[in-house]
Amino acid sequence: MTINWPEKFARKGHEIFLSGLPIALHCHHYNMNLQKTLESSLGNDGSLLIYQAAEESSYDGLTSFLEHFPKINTVKSKLELASTSYQYCGLGIINFSQIGPIGGRIVSPHSHHVTGWLAKFGKRENPGCFFSRGWIAGALAVIYEKPLGYYRVEELECKMALARECIFEVTKT
Amino acid sequence: MAIDTDKIVHAVMHGSRIREEKGIIPLFGVYLSMISVQYYNRISFGFEKKLGNDALAEKLLVAAGQECGYATFQGIRSSREWDEVVRPMIERIEDQIYCFVSIAIAFGWGDLTVHELVPKEKLVIRANASYEAKGYLDAYGKADSGKCYMLRGVAAAFMDLLYGDEYPDGCFQYTSIETHCQAKGDLHCEFVARKTAP
Repeated sequence: MTINWPEKFARKGHEIFLSGLPIALHCHHYNMNLQKTLESSLGNDGSLLIYQAAEESSYDGLTSFLEHFPKINTVKSKLELASTSYQYCGLGIINFSQIGPIGGRIVSPHSHHVTGWLAKFGKRENPGCFFSRGWIAGALAVIYEKPLGYYRVEELECKMALARECIFEVTKT
Repeated sequence: MAIDTDKIVHAVMHGSRIREEKGIIPLFGVYLSMISVQYYNRISFGFEKKLGNDALAEKLLVAAGQECGYATFQGIRSSREWDEVVRPMIERIEDQIYCFVSIAIAFGWGDLTVHELVPKEKLVIRANASYEAKGYLDAYGKADSGKCYMLRGVAAAFMDLLYGDEYPDGCFQYTSIETHCQAKGDLHCEFVARKTAP
């Protein structure tokens, strides 16, 4: 099924909605500043907050999308929707080819957060895609009809630390 | 020429539908993302709660917004899109602020208006339905203090860009306060930016 993305991305007055949920456009300066502020002030609690916020956001976002598109009802088509939605939102490219209901691996060759972090702060010593980890966890919970928090996503390799691509491992919590 | 907010909003909406092959949105000299306001509010207000020090959280979040606004709108006003769409509307330096505000509206940050602008001295921006105030009210109920940290920082950044030292040395030369906030039950949110006290 083909989704008319521009049609789903609409303004009502000063607000912007994507498939019925309010969104905001922000650039890498703000997203990276927020991440740095949270990490430097709260350490692991800061990265966990980003992860959980992204997990909730993608869970609610994808749930809303699927309510609008009841014909997207197979796992394959839902994975495709998640991947396309990630790309449409300017978040990058995500490859769900090695994933199943009990977990697996996900590869992301490009992302907003990697591009933004490297442009703004340069190389990191440790993986830093907390947003993407949470986003993946929330999306998979919707796709495999599990509760929020069902999946744990870790980042094994990260382009922010100059790996070739970001590799995420998904397991059940 | 008057500032045509509709034209600027249209340019942002049109441009933000263009992705390059990496799934990135390069527009107005920055990389844009489209993320739910729920995410940003969870981050800001969750940070405030976790830090357990409201004053410090407020200071850090406003600073993040101001530094962002400073770098973002510098990128924006140096971009090809600015030259093509916005620059022809600008007749005096102050017009830039009206254009910045139009872009902030286009980004979905709220219904913003420049209420008062005294060159080099003072900027007053009013906002209706900022996603921060609305998000706080929905999640936590009425607030005791202003909650629009990002917009507050951005208001000061606009003055930094116009009247501060040349980029990149002018950030934080202006400071903004939020005098009214809809999260507190006020009719609108209001940000007043003035020169930072030495």
